[in-house]
Amino acid sequence: MTVRSLAVVSAGLSQPSSTRLLADQLAAATRDELVRRGEEVELRPVELREHAHDIVNHLLTGFPSESLRQVLDQVTGADGLIAVTPIFNASYNGLFKSFFDLVDAEAVGGRPVLVGATGGTARHSLALEHAVRPMFTYLRAVTVPTAVFAAPEDWSGGAADGALRARIVRAGRELAEQVHRTAPSDGPTDPFALTTSFEQLLGGRDT
Amino acid sequence: MQFGVFTVGDVTVDPTNGREPTEAERIKAMVAIALKAEEVGLDVFATGEHHNPPFVPSSPTTMLGYIAARTERLLLSTATTLITTNDPVKIAEDYAMLQHLADGRVDLMMGRGNTGPVYPWFGQDIRNGIPLAIENYDLLRRLWREDVVDWQGKFRTPLQSFTSTPRPLDDVPPFVWHGSIRSPEIAEQAAYYGDGFFANHIFWPAEHTRRMVGLYRQRFEHYGHGTADQAIVGLGGQVFMRRNSQDAVREFRPYFDNAPVYGHGPSLEEFTAQTPLTVGSPQQVIDRTLGFRDYVGDYQRQLFLLDHAGLPLKTVLEQLDLLGEEVVPVLRKEFDSLRPAHVPLAPTHASLRAAAQRAPQTGGTSTGDLAGAGAEIER
Repeated sequence: MTVRSLAVVSAGLSQPSSTRLLADQLAAATRDELVRRGEEVELRPVELREHAHDIVNHLLTGFPSESLRQVLDQVTGADGLIAVTPIFNASYNGLFKSFFDLVDAEAVGGRPVLVGATGGTARHSLALEHAVRPMFTYLRAVTVPTAVFAAPEDWSGGAADGALRARIVRAGRELAEQVHRTAPSDGPTDPFALTTSFEQLLGGRDT
Repeated sequence: MQFGVFTVGDVTVDPTNGREPTEAERIKAMVAIALKAEEVGLDVFATGEHHNPPFVPSSPTTMLGYIAARTERLLLSTATTLITTNDPVKIAEDYAMLQHLADGRVDLMMGRGNTGPVYPWFGQDIRNGIPLAIENYDLLRRLWREDVVDWQGKFRTPLQSFTSTPRPLDDVPPFVWHGSIRSPEIAEQAAYYGDGFFANHIFWPAEHTRRMVGLYRQRFEHYGHGTADQAIVGLGGQVFMRRNSQDAVREFRPYFDNAPVYGHGPSLEEFTAQTPLTVGSPQQVIDRTLGFRDYVGDYQRQLFLLDHAGLPLKTVLEQLDLLGEEVVPVLRKEFDSLRPAHVPLAPTHASLRAAAQRAPQTGGTSTGDLAGAGAEIER
């Protein structure tokens, strides 16, 4: 039995954070479905807030700190990704975008992704479809059909048995199915690997 | 082992007093730094090449020619020569000319340049950076090694029956280093030709340097130029020193915090932990620099960046005094005592000429036995 890894990225800023709460529930639903299918699951929670300074520093210097490099490797080397952001000004928040700006398009191409968001009103819910999903499409990830948005009324109604719960279970099942049928990740790509010989480089010269 | 300084040639406001040097002051300061480097016993001065403000050194051979006339011993080099946007014909001519004027005290470091807008000013496209570096350098080598060149490529007008003049001094082309931060293709290029590889090493984690130098060494051996530990490696380094390390930190911090490259990002403490930047006493610089050998092996050239981020000339010259009097003599002795006999020194004009006289012509495809060439010269 293989161990399937799920990176669970949360861009919530407050503590405790409803964004983290949604991320954890999506992760649990996905894990339960994978376990039902006979897989072992390793969850890799990532709180972007803890790496906020390192993320900005990477944007400025062009390289990650050692701890941020480990986080990036954990995310890009996972079999599946759950990415949850609060909605600010009708889109993902800056921390979420800044983090994924550091992820190479090659690194998550073909990886199953489940997106989720939280917001102060349900009127933000389509930001998942016009902002978050297109970003992962650009990264050539395989985003599952159900994207989960949680508004304040979803929590106050009791997340366990309300409509939110049903969406979480459905989304988790979709991600688990994708992860189950996708080959395990080869791990993060090595940017220093030589992929061509000099004869090929020189040979390309005359063509 | 060779020690020296390399300069970017930036015009930057001194953040401690708001003063910005004029271009004239900055250019003369670069010359003063080169002359001081020779005075304090360093071996190499290398200038950057840039074609956009806030940088002044757009014409490296003009500057290096002037310095050549005012020095006796100093090796003149570049960091880097833009192999992508310069015409290789002009590089061949300019540096052969400089080689004659400087009596062979010349080598070059090739680089691609990472500023997108510069490429179109010279009719090129940054997306072709690697193919330009490959094609242009291959032509440059031929221009220095073949008296008459017929050539056709993708990026430049074809050449028919072209002779680049003057021919290299003593028919020995300048030694070439290839500089790159994280492009494995450039480490491969350096290894293919048996040229030197220079890891920028400043502003970047040591891990980049370790991986790139490791790849270069492995491919150098693959292409039959010698064993991996005989490959010719250079490293950058960035230091700021005062006798008392707390004084160094206090004085350097405003320059660090406002520096164009990393300013307003990581703290000085974070950056010194993450990159080879060393701010402290001469002994700390000695210890840190000796530690470079732990992850790149025995290497041939160490260049320091001292003059940037608006540091005044007087401060830079004080840094050179400390480097020449306290740091480099110790490093020279330590590195020399650690280096095994079969690991060569960096090739020089004299060692390459001696090697060429020893070996029959190889048709211009290889620099020949670098191990033999470098070992010839003792400083």
